[in-house]
Amino acid sequence: MSPHLTSAYNLAKWLTSSHEDAEDIVQEAFLRAFSAFESFRGDDPKPWLLTIVRNTSMTLLKRNLNTGATIRFEEVLEDPRERSPDPEQTLLISCDREEVRQALEQLPVDFREAVVLREIEGLSYKEIAATTGVPLGTVMSRLSRGRDCLKRILSTPRSVRTKEGASLR
Amino acid sequence: MNCDDSRIYLPAYLDDELDVAESLRVQKHLLECGDCQRVQDQELALRSALRDPELYAHPSAEFLRRIETAISTAALGQARSARSFGFEVFQLGWFRWVPAIAALLILAIGTFLALNSLQSSHEEIVAKAVLAGHIRSLQENHLIDVPSSDRHTVKPWFQGRLDFSPPVPDLSDPGWPLIGGRLDYVDGRPVAVLVYQRRMHKINVFLWPNHGSANDDIRQEDAQGYQILHWNGAEDTYWVVSDLNRSELLQLARVLRGH
Repeated sequence: MSPHLTSAYNLAKWLTSSHEDAEDIVQEAFLRAFSAFESFRGDDPKPWLLTIVRNTSMTLLKRNLNTGATIRFEEVLEDPRERSPDPEQTLLISCDREEVRQALEQLPVDFREAVVLREIEGLSYKEIAATTGVPLGTVMSRLSRGRDCLKRILSTPRSVRTKEGASLR
Repeated sequence: MNCDDSRIYLPAYLDDELDVAESLRVQKHLLECGDCQRVQDQELALRSALRDPELYAHPSAEFLRRIETAISTAALGQARSARSFGFEVFQLGWFRWVPAIAALLILAIGTFLALNSLQSSHEEIVAKAVLAGHIRSLQENHLIDVPSSDRHTVKPWFQGRLDFSPPVPDLSDPGWPLIGGRLDYVDGRPVAVLVYQRRMHKINVFLWPNHGSANDDIRQEDAQGYQILHWNGAEDTYWVVSDLNRSELLQLARVLRGH
């Protein structure tokens, strides 16, 4: 099981944005996985373990539903077509690690989950579908909407941000 | 293919999730269309920003130790509750023959295990050594002795270090970039290890000359969450180990076998 512990923690940390919650979830998930291991039938235990981790995370998230975060999501999702960046600006994707991290943390949790499993964990579409328990088509649409949100957040021209920053001072 | 179709297929194309025919259609359109190329550049920029290894959240070593302790405690607890259950049944007096049956069972299981371990074939021993080599290579930061994606660097590096010259195929085109090579010691001899990568997964390919009979069938095994594939080629014996899923690893094995 141990090669999957790191993957489990990575997923839980990205879903909950909290180091402590991630540790609690992974611990609970692994103990639960351990007691259910006899009922597991299949080739690869990894999607099965990650499923337990994401279900445990989702339960916790529902319990501590953060209204502030929800408002942020809606802002991000507003009018995707109208604000679609023109091709001249599309290349200005920020590679600044902290900006990328913040952008990813802002995504709605379903989109964030798909993007994290694909880009950071390196799972295939099929593995993501198995882990999250949704059809392949849903995986693809969540990934593409998640990526579109990220592009929109990260491709805001730098000059605009600096101007905003300057006017505040 | 027009631009609308190309935009729809592009993410799956870049994720390596399209079949060959669809990939070729997207590729062809990209060659002809500057706008779609710019969208592709943006998709690629986003992917590379997200694949920053620093974004991967690693658990602390202390936490990993704690989990392992918790799991072994849980295992102990399960064994204990199983024992006390047996005792209660005995107390009820319903199954006075439980100890006798238990003794017989233990004897049978013991005999079975003993016979089994005697029969544990040479192949299983090698499989364990190969798996241990793979795990060790990931743990001790000793994955690669010669880091290079160029087969013309990796192949000569083995010369003088081994008594054979391992084939080092370039598989970056079918999507298996070479990231380097290293020496390992398996089955009582030094062997070549080629390290390939698929997304975040490292793949160790162990190989050495096959002095026995050739058998091209790929045998599969999984252990501790890793997949192990093995075949005896006409010239070399191959062992492929990774935490990648089995179907993709089989693809690689078939490509390697064809070379």
